[in-house]
Amino acid sequence: MLQFPAWKVLLVLAVLIWGVVMALPNAVNMSNAPGFLPKQSVNLGLDLRGGVYLEMEIPATEVISSRLEVFARDVRSAFARTSDRDPIFFQPELRGRTMLIKLSRPDENGNFPVEEALRRLDRINSPIEGGLGGGKTFEISRAGPDSILVGVSSASEAAMLQDALNKTMTIVRRRVDPDGVAEISLTPSGNNRIVLEAPGEPDPQRLKDLLSRDGRMTFNLVETSPAEIASAQAGIVKPGFRLLEGPETGPLLVREIPEVVGSDIATASQGNDEANRPQINFRLNANGARKFYETTRNNSGKLFAIVLDDVIMSAPRINEPIPGGNVRITGTFTMEEAQDLAAIIAAGEMPAKVQFLDQRVVSSTLGEDSIESGFRAAIVGLSLVAVFMILAYGLQGMFAVISLVANVILIFASLSLLGATLTLPGIAGIILTIGMAVDANVLVFERVREEQNNGRSLWTAVQAGYERALITILDANITTLFAAVILYSMGSGPVKGFAVTLALGIVTSVFTAFVFTRMLTVFWMKTFKPKRLAV
Amino acid sequence: MLIKYWPKETKIPFMRYRYVGVVLSLIMMVGSIYLVMTRGLNLGVDFAGGSVIELRQTDTVTVANVRSQIPGGLTVNSATDANGAELVVIRFGEVDASLLGPEFAALTEEEKADRASAASNTFVVNTIKQEFNLQDEDILRNDSVGPKVSGELFREGLIALGVATLMMFLYIAFRYSWAYAVGGIAALIHDAIGTIGLFSLLQIQFDLTTIAALLTIIGYSVNDSVVVFDRIREIRRKYKQMPATEVIDIATNQTLSRTFLTGGTTIIAVLAIVIFGGPVLQGMSVAMIWGIVIGTYSSIYFAAAIVLMLGVDINRKPVEDTPGFEAMP
Repeated sequence: MLQFPAWKVLLVLAVLIWGVVMALPNAVNMSNAPGFLPKQSVNLGLDLRGGVYLEMEIPATEVISSRLEVFARDVRSAFARTSDRDPIFFQPELRGRTMLIKLSRPDENGNFPVEEALRRLDRINSPIEGGLGGGKTFEISRAGPDSILVGVSSASEAAMLQDALNKTMTIVRRRVDPDGVAEISLTPSGNNRIVLEAPGEPDPQRLKDLLSRDGRMTFNLVETSPAEIASAQAGIVKPGFRLLEGPETGPLLVREIPEVVGSDIATASQGNDEANRPQINFRLNANGARKFYETTRNNSGKLFAIVLDDVIMSAPRINEPIPGGNVRITGTFTMEEAQDLAAIIAAGEMPAKVQFLDQRVVSSTLGEDSIESGFRAAIVGLSLVAVFMILAYGLQGMFAVISLVANVILIFASLSLLGATLTLPGIAGIILTIGMAVDANVLVFERVREEQNNGRSLWTAVQAGYERALITILDANITTLFAAVILYSMGSGPVKGFAVTLALGIVTSVFTAFVFTRMLTVFWMKTFKPKRLAV
Repeated sequence: MLIKYWPKETKIPFMRYRYVGVVLSLIMMVGSIYLVMTRGLNLGVDFAGGSVIELRQTDTVTVANVRSQIPGGLTVNSATDANGAELVVIRFGEVDASLLGPEFAALTEEEKADRASAASNTFVVNTIKQEFNLQDEDILRNDSVGPKVSGELFREGLIALGVATLMMFLYIAFRYSWAYAVGGIAALIHDAIGTIGLFSLLQIQFDLTTIAALLTIIGYSVNDSVVVFDRIREIRRKYKQMPATEVIDIATNQTLSRTFLTGGTTIIAVLAIVIFGGPVLQGMSVAMIWGIVIGTYSSIYFAAAIVLMLGVDINRKPVEDTPGFEAMP
């Protein structure tokens, strides 16, 4: 227990020096230091640096029903190809997470050809994406003498949600950070949630507006006859057409099937028109450009509506065929609106509209205040504990305090090493650790005191003190470590930060209090050869 | 140094007063539960849902002005931050649906329930910005938690406390015996209930950081109990014939200086957070101080007393082997 061979001393010193080097950037500006030294200071949480935290959810029902809608279209086209004499006619009916297919015409015997329909549906039922074991995307079963139920198995639902989550993450990233320069973190949480953390002072409302758009972009030909618009407004919409509104165009009747869609767009950006007003430029991909050219060639004189999420953004008249696929939208946008719209168009369509569950915004001034008050509390706490320990145990208390400082340095070094985030409750965790870390020292010192009182000599008393206290120290710290680990696994954001510093503090404090203090004590005993420990 | 003035050997007959201790503890626990049931807890946005907005107080932005100029039945209070600056703190759940505009009115009932909280937040923030001519950076804090998340957070918090308790129980049972595990866990539950009672009594805000504080208290409580348990075991091994009451008294007395010193340094450190750490950490740290105080007490009067009732022996031996062992009271 009291033997410190050279390698042990070197090891302890190496750990401490490593700690100082890693923790240094938090105290001093290292930008001019030599290259081999770390320059990264500890990551600060949003509560300390200010920023926006948004938690959003992709509604599972919406994801599933939109997939069922696509399936219904596949079913329609698969059945449409069969001949006129085919007895199977059907109507799909969406019911949230399931779809009911009703066969509408019985055969000559009055039976509905459910078996035949099931066989055909099975052919177009694709395997689960990325799934192993050959499960199919939809569960198709007979629901009655004339009906078939299409549902989704839990494995398939998980695959759909995973796919929607991946797509949404990509789209969210492209929308909030089109240039890829902002320091924005996106983390999936659970199977259908995303946490967005944006430091600094972004406008949370603008972020939410940007993310709550579907981003469904279409180009539709317009029916301009006033009589048809009037009758549509009266409620009689011509088949194959839809009545849409636009802030600048007013109500227009557009073709239901678009000529060009969002996936035909290659890039979009904010630009300026001749009068230097903000506009949105975009370029179509080869396929889109060809469709655009053909539509403009065949429909000269008509209006061509540019529609985003069922709102007409503009509807210019086609004067001549437009090749090349470079298109622009002009209108009365502010610069910010044009940028956001360009980002939405470029990012593509969301698999489902996200819901915002949870929002936390901290201004950076409040964050700075928190750093300041947390720092002050830590300094005061450390000083008070130091005074207390020195008053109680004298020189040995001094050793414990040196270990305590080493402990705080090691906590910061480990935070840097793990890339963990320091939050305000995290600072509280460090302060709490300062108070609790001396427990190991106190246990040892009290043990040594007892042994000395029982008449043991200095070395045997110190030896026995450390030996006997070890088990207690381990037992006591492991239980607190349990609490910290559980806190980490459940916690979010700031609370997680508390758990991290608490857990790190427990591990480092056992090292500093039990190993480093012991080393200091042994050196002191060897050098000054005291008769007893003044504890 | 000063520690030498601490008596070398204290001989406080703790276990003689164990029934007084247990009764006091039961009164405190029943009182706490009664308080929570009648007074309730001051749930923060984490658990209750809704919004909290903090603004810096200025000549125009005052509690009275916000109350009179912003509709929606908001709860407006003043607060002071760690640096002494005055804040205006606005709390609300959902404002009246008629304020939320036609777009909200068009939603289905289910969608309304999901979005009312977020829509209310948007409405209040926009109204404040307009009325007082404020920018984004003037809004110091704006937290809004939907009903879905707040319910989950509360459930997760309870689960965390439950899992922590179970793990501590298993650890102590593994290291000592079932009797010790029951004693340690009883003390832990005692401390947790007592702390929640304080939250109800003082109406301190109960939120996620409170769960963090409770878990820390649980850890500290068990830590404290384990130190006493360790000593009980050690003395028991040394003096096999000693009556259990005496074993526990000696163990408690021998660890008493440590109990006070560690409790003292921890309280000092946490006190620094209470005074200098600012309003965010205040509730959490007040709870921790109280938890440390009752945790220290409970490791003696609850944990040890229960171990005494259930049996101090780690290896179950027939009773005749331990003649000094007291019959179960």
